[in-house]
Amino acid sequence: MPDVDVFDALANPVRREILKKLRRGPKGVSDLASGFSLGRPAVSEHLQVLRRARLIREEPRGRERYYHLDPRPLKEVTTWLDAFERYAQDRLDDLGELLDREAGERR
Amino acid sequence: MTETPKIQLDRVYAHPPAAIWRALTTPELHAKWWAPGDVRAELGHRFELDMGAWGKQRCEVTAVEPERLFQYKYAIGVLDTLISWKLAPEGNGTRLTLIHEGFNLDTPMGKKAFEGMRPGWPGVMGAIERVLNG
Repeated sequence: MPDVDVFDALANPVRREILKKLRRGPKGVSDLASGFSLGRPAVSEHLQVLRRARLIREEPRGRERYYHLDPRPLKEVTTWLDAFERYAQDRLDDLGELLDREAGERR
Repeated sequence: MTETPKIQLDRVYAHPPAAIWRALTTPELHAKWWAPGDVRAELGHRFELDMGAWGKQRCEVTAVEPERLFQYKYAIGVLDTLISWKLAPEGNGTRLTLIHEGFNLDTPMGKKAFEGMRPGWPGVMGAIERVLNG
């Protein structure tokens, strides 16, 4: 089991930004750190949180480590949001039925 | 990136905006399609929606444009999201747009919902874009 909850990992905007960058392919720390005003050690710390949540994995290449996105834990989050969406769809169905009933009663 | 994930749904109903507005803002009608509560189209009005198993959720009206826009904070302190209902005439009916935004991945209701539905849901990899882009 991952020792960092995927929600905790995603709760931070820097970590979400890192994941977005990694969607375009594996990157090294210096490359990842370039877009942030944070120092490289801070970025490394965020990377460790993402790694412990199993959202990324490390690959040593020469002197630098490269990071790959592993989107599998995100499935938990998307199904979570899907559930709210299904709920909303059901409410819109119910609203339609109510509107039809009310219109029928007014006729 | 500062945006959080949101849900946006569109539905066209064969009813005038006035009828939909009543359903959104009148407690008696609101209880019939969603939840009981003292909802009212008045800016700043605080009300509760009784969500059954989810408990009573506190809300606060943040925007009112009769038959055009009804917006309120939803589940204050529990889910802390914002719900907007937008109405626009379309043909002989009305296009209703629901925007539910501000989903925080780390609120009590969010976690609870997540825990309750963890098993058995099919994963959709394409939806990852939505989570990351908000």
